[in-house]
Amino acid sequence: MTSGMCVRCGGLIVAFQKESVAREKARQLSDQAGYPVIYRMVKGIVLCGVCLDALPLIGHDICQRCGRDRELQAGINNVGLCRDCVHGKDSENLVANRSLLRYEKGERDLLGLFKYRGDERLASYYGTLLAITVQRYYRCMGFTCITTVPLHPQRLWERGFNQVDLLARHLGAAIKIPVKPLLLRTKDTPKLSKQKGRAARHENMREAFVWDGQDMPSASKILLLDDIYTTGSTLRSCARTIREHLGSSCEIYSLTIYR
Amino acid sequence: MREYLLYIKACGGSIPQVQTYITPSFSVDRSFWQEREGCVLHVIGKTSSLALAFSLRAKVNGYVMDQVGKGRALTDGYVKELRALAVSSVCEASSLYGREVMSVQDRRKHGWFSWEPVEESVEVPYQGGKESEKLPGTRVGYSGGRELLGRSSSHENSQEAVLCEILDGRALLWEEVEALLNKRGVDVHDLSAILHSFVLANKAEWRPGIRFSVTKGWWRNRLELVCERCGSAGAKVELTYCHTCEQGCAYCTACLGMGRSKCCTPYFLMDVGASLIRSAEHLENVARLEWAGKYSADQSRAAERARCFVANPRPGLSEYLIWAVCGAGKTELLFPSVTEALAAGGRVLIATPRKDVVLELAPRIKRVFPGAKVIAVHGSSSEKWEESDITIATTHQVMRYHRRFLLVVLDEADAFPYHNDPILYRALSRAVKKNGKLLYLSATPPGYLQKRLVRKGRSNLGSSGAIPLFSDTHVLLPGRYHGAALPVPKILTVQGLHKRVQTNRIVAPLIDTVNNSLNEERQVFVFVPRVDEIDRVLSYLQKWLPAHAGEMAGVHAADPMREEKVLAFREKRYTVMVTTTILERGVTIPKSDVVVVGAEAPVFDEASLVQIAGRVGRSVDDTSGSVLFLQAERSTSPKRAVRQISQMNCLAQKLTEQRGLS
Repeated sequence: MTSGMCVRCGGLIVAFQKESVAREKARQLSDQAGYPVIYRMVKGIVLCGVCLDALPLIGHDICQRCGRDRELQAGINNVGLCRDCVHGKDSENLVANRSLLRYEKGERDLLGLFKYRGDERLASYYGTLLAITVQRYYRCMGFTCITTVPLHPQRLWERGFNQVDLLARHLGAAIKIPVKPLLLRTKDTPKLSKQKGRAARHENMREAFVWDGQDMPSASKILLLDDIYTTGSTLRSCARTIREHLGSSCEIYSLTIYR
Repeated sequence: MREYLLYIKACGGSIPQVQTYITPSFSVDRSFWQEREGCVLHVIGKTSSLALAFSLRAKVNGYVMDQVGKGRALTDGYVKELRALAVSSVCEASSLYGREVMSVQDRRKHGWFSWEPVEESVEVPYQGGKESEKLPGTRVGYSGGRELLGRSSSHENSQEAVLCEILDGRALLWEEVEALLNKRGVDVHDLSAILHSFVLANKAEWRPGIRFSVTKGWWRNRLELVCERCGSAGAKVELTYCHTCEQGCAYCTACLGMGRSKCCTPYFLMDVGASLIRSAEHLENVARLEWAGKYSADQSRAAERARCFVANPRPGLSEYLIWAVCGAGKTELLFPSVTEALAAGGRVLIATPRKDVVLELAPRIKRVFPGAKVIAVHGSSSEKWEESDITIATTHQVMRYHRRFLLVVLDEADAFPYHNDPILYRALSRAVKKNGKLLYLSATPPGYLQKRLVRKGRSNLGSSGAIPLFSDTHVLLPGRYHGAALPVPKILTVQGLHKRVQTNRIVAPLIDTVNNSLNEERQVFVFVPRVDEIDRVLSYLQKWLPAHAGEMAGVHAADPMREEKVLAFREKRYTVMVTTTILERGVTIPKSDVVVVGAEAPVFDEASLVQIAGRVGRSVDDTSGSVLFLQAERSTSPKRAVRQISQMNCLAQKLTEQRGLS
């Protein structure tokens, strides 16, 4: 009883080995009502039992704003926010962020394979993970649409693919919410690892996007999608641009794979 | 955006010639033909997908060939016909592509491929003689293009020579060409124009990263996509919409780790043909061999034969197998052949399957050839783009070379990535120069290599005759360098072996052998077929041999502590190592014994078992040792391994007897 190859280790997926792990993970990810849906999705992840068990899932105790796992962050006050969110400015644009996985060593390589090497087969894997995240945190939100953090046209030409668009397509198909491009990137910022510090990053992202979508009702809920939340500058900058256009009655939530 | 123009060149003269070309910069072509001959260039159209352009070229060329048979001249109506043919084949390819991709992606309105027909004909008069008079000393062929680019000819010439030298013998994707030039600090203004002039001069070749063609089937036509770099096709090639060429595209997942090979990425193969011209003095220095070791009689015989093969100028004789048993000193055998190739002014490539072998081999070769530049090339190496005389590379890096090396040596030809992988064999044979040589090195050559290169005496009668010691295409070295015989494995069938281990019942031969070895202060390898059996066998041994329990360890491929554990085993901090086939080659530990638990498992084939048995008795101080194959049921591969080993021993003995007589 095998079904396909594990995207992480390349081994065969043995269904009966995966079964118990999938059950345990689904229980961890959901309450009683949500269990059947989540279980089905977890079972559909293209990972073998061992790799599925090793997924660094974010636990139950999270920062209510940025979705960070609070077990790993020392010195958090008891408002339910992490230190960065308490001290951070410009936090009213983005209502909340949620992610599924912690960004750890092995995850970095896999994301790199998807993002920089362009292995588009991983899109369906990450799409499933995102759908699980939506089920876990945003179950009854009723989003108007999904939108993505755009890539600069020059960068898009160089790479030849937009990884977040691929994710959005898979997620949209899974949770049946339309995907609409709303933004355009006007500033090509250097790679994240080549920028220095939180403040510089924040400064860099300022004014990097402009509105480029059709008209929408101003009281809409928008799900903003990206692959990783590091300082949140990108997502907040996008959120600000959208709110400037639609007015302050729209709510913007964000969703990333890694936090 | 990069755009490629498809045009037809028609030249008059006694025999009218019609040929189709693809160019990234039309002006270069125009001036090129101006210098060669007067002709008319009919532009058909342009596209940003190189693969599309190539498939159209094939189509148009085929059509033209057909018409040539009918004796038709190139008239305006004919050209119009060709343009219509191009448009219709784009339509066909587009719909076929759409059908294949539909399950993955949403439908597009305007078709998957964009093709822009251009109706333009340019008459190019012949100006060659005048041009070359005006610019004495320059090679005919580029001067016009150079003038168009508006730069002085001398500067341009030197830049071309530099590019020629850097890119010679390499097969690179466009991004890699840019990266290479960047690394060398060469700044080229209009790279594609210069590279295209190489192509026109027949020194290089453009290809799309993924080539596609429409194949006719009896049921329906199909779109066939093949990766030009690694040759894989079918399910390995993924279809996708590409933002670089803004149309349907495809990329290869088999060689994705080395950069994305796509329909719209040019794959540039450079082959200047001429070897490097160097002074005799320099060559002598490069080929200087400083090695204090000494060959045994057998070794020197084999090494001499290999050297003769490399020195042999006879064309067609391009593959050679050195079949030397484990512990025969294979690496040393190479030195004369490498010297020979270096002295002839060629480059040498040594390809091995694993990175650790590359890292181990490079300093050794450096020491032996002090005058030559040696680089180690693997995925994360910084020397990847440097020039060298001797390149030691992992298998996948070989794909980046194109007719570059006079001598290519493939170490461990039967090891994991090469074995049965046509991609890597293809890459390897492509890295060899036109009249270069390919040398396989193996202790257990796979069947297909044996069939091809080892001509057995009476093979046509069906019986397995004795393996000949040498032929035109191979040499066999049956004995170890220290002259002692290979330890012959003992096979034991233990009923219910795995169950006994699982339930901690005693398996006397296993425990006794391990215990005896440990009492004689020897180290023991215990090989098991699967990773999950490592822990089981380890705890079993620890239970039955509690005195040595602390000195036992298990290691597998994905073990994070792998290197530390193997090192500890080498340093004798561990005395028993339970492992899978990962340690079957490359590890040499003096005074060690081997036990295989479950030798009937399919992972242990004949070659693997011979390699495992070859771990024992390799050093001069201790030439004997025990090898035990435990199997739960009778099976063929242990028997065959034993047969092969005793056959080798027999041959070795015969050889020494002969030498004793003569």
